[in-house]
Amino acid sequence: MTDLVVDLAADCPSAAPPKLVGMREFGVGKRSTVGISVATALLILGAWQGASSLHLAPHLFLPSPSEVYAAAQSVFEDGYANATLWEHVSASLARILIAAVIAIGLGAPIGLVMGLSRWAKGIFDAPIEFYWPLPPLAYLPLMIIWLGIGEASKITLLALAMFAPVALSAQAGVRSVTQERVNAALSLGATRLQLLREVVFPSALPEILTGVRIALGVGWSTLVAAELIAATRGIGYMIMSASQFLATDVVFVGIGIIAACAFAFSFLMRAVERRFAPWKGQS
Amino acid sequence: MLRVDNASVYFAARDGKPVHALDRVSLDIPERGFVVALGTSGCGKSTLLNAMAGFLPLSSGSITLNGHEVTAPGAERGVVFQKDTLLPWKSVIENVALGLKFAGVGRKERRARAEELLRLVGLQDFADSAPYELSGGMRQRVGIARALAPDPAILLMDEPFGALDSMTREQMQELLVDVWARTGKQIFFITHSIEEALFLGTQLIVMSPRPGRIVARYDLDFVNQFARDRDARAIKTAPAFAVLREEARAVVHQFEAVRSSEV
Repeated sequence: MTDLVVDLAADCPSAAPPKLVGMREFGVGKRSTVGISVATALLILGAWQGASSLHLAPHLFLPSPSEVYAAAQSVFEDGYANATLWEHVSASLARILIAAVIAIGLGAPIGLVMGLSRWAKGIFDAPIEFYWPLPPLAYLPLMIIWLGIGEASKITLLALAMFAPVALSAQAGVRSVTQERVNAALSLGATRLQLLREVVFPSALPEILTGVRIALGVGWSTLVAAELIAATRGIGYMIMSASQFLATDVVFVGIGIIAACAFAFSFLMRAVERRFAPWKGQS
Repeated sequence: MLRVDNASVYFAARDGKPVHALDRVSLDIPERGFVVALGTSGCGKSTLLNAMAGFLPLSSGSITLNGHEVTAPGAERGVVFQKDTLLPWKSVIENVALGLKFAGVGRKERRARAEELLRLVGLQDFADSAPYELSGGMRQRVGIARALAPDPAILLMDEPFGALDSMTREQMQELLVDVWARTGKQIFFITHSIEEALFLGTQLIVMSPRPGRIVARYDLDFVNQFARDRDARAIKTAPAFAVLREEARAVVHQFEAVRSSEV
């Protein structure tokens, strides 16, 4: 007969707590990197402070952190270049948000259709592939000639820059839907519209959200560049006018505000992804 | 009754030459029939199932379900895939109720019928779990419940237990026999396991590759025995089972040997 081996001793709790182990990890692993990042940021700040207090660079080119902080306070309280800080920030935010709504509202459906229909792909591929690699600043003059120096030209420029990543990612999202998943839905009696709503769109959603994230990144870089050239409000304009007066400290403040806004956007997008696509990478 | 009449399928190979995947296959699946197709890979059994499901048009011949020609996928033919195709953004019960949603059934009734089906496959405690929280065998059970939800006339099962470990697989076979005995559905079931084929089918067809065709047919009774006595071990160790197993194995390997000696 077979011996049943049961080690009774194993059931008794031993004095020392067991040593917990896990599989060895490759690459970054799961442990948080926040601590390291904060330490790095502090190190950079320290180097900056050190460099300015040792006068390694002329004061005009590299203000000290405390001066930038003072400038930030004064900009915050008194505004800069004929507008309050909030007016600058809200002008920029309004432009990027309106453009994002247009880009997502057009880009996601057009991208989905491009993934579904040969005709749509044929029609939209050529113009998108043509203009998408162009730097937006190259066609900004055209926008200004056609639409004037008001908001329309800037929002159109931004929407164009943000449209392509959204559309291309939506198209890629549709392509990621497996034939099996489609077959399963069809054999459950799905109509074409139901297939689109219940299977294709949710399948493509994680990729669309990734596209939106990329688009927002592209949006910020295009926005500031556009405001540098033609604007009377906006963070980019604030930086531009500060640089004309060699107010380096205000330039630093402007850069800091853009970084904070972009960071907030990407944080928000991550929350949106967790909320609307929690299954990402699960199956 | 599902009737396959002289079904042939030719695919275009990469170089454009036709590949003969299915050669004049004829097959009837009667009411309460459990037909199992057995064969090595490339014998056309999945091609046949895809044609029955309406995923693949025939080059010639016809497939009819209760007299109506099969031309496209539809809810009267439920499909269970080898790889589960559950939607990860829907809970288990929402996945089961998907076909009912497509049919326009109201939310409350959907939920009630899906709960009933989950009980049938023993997953009533996992209704609100996400599919990716379930094991492979549980996911396949959800797949079976989902395919049953629109109350199809026939279940088409494409190696549904192929990716499961052997112990889970035996449990799933017994569960499937229960489902079959209780619902009385016609089932077309593909496998490359001889034992599974003999245990499950009321009829076994053995297929051979290049071109895919049926080379042997057996009428079986083991599945009825199991539905009656619920003793799988007694059936699988019975001499009659062993004899048929060796015979089916000989048929499968005979055609494999012939084909490979031609090359």
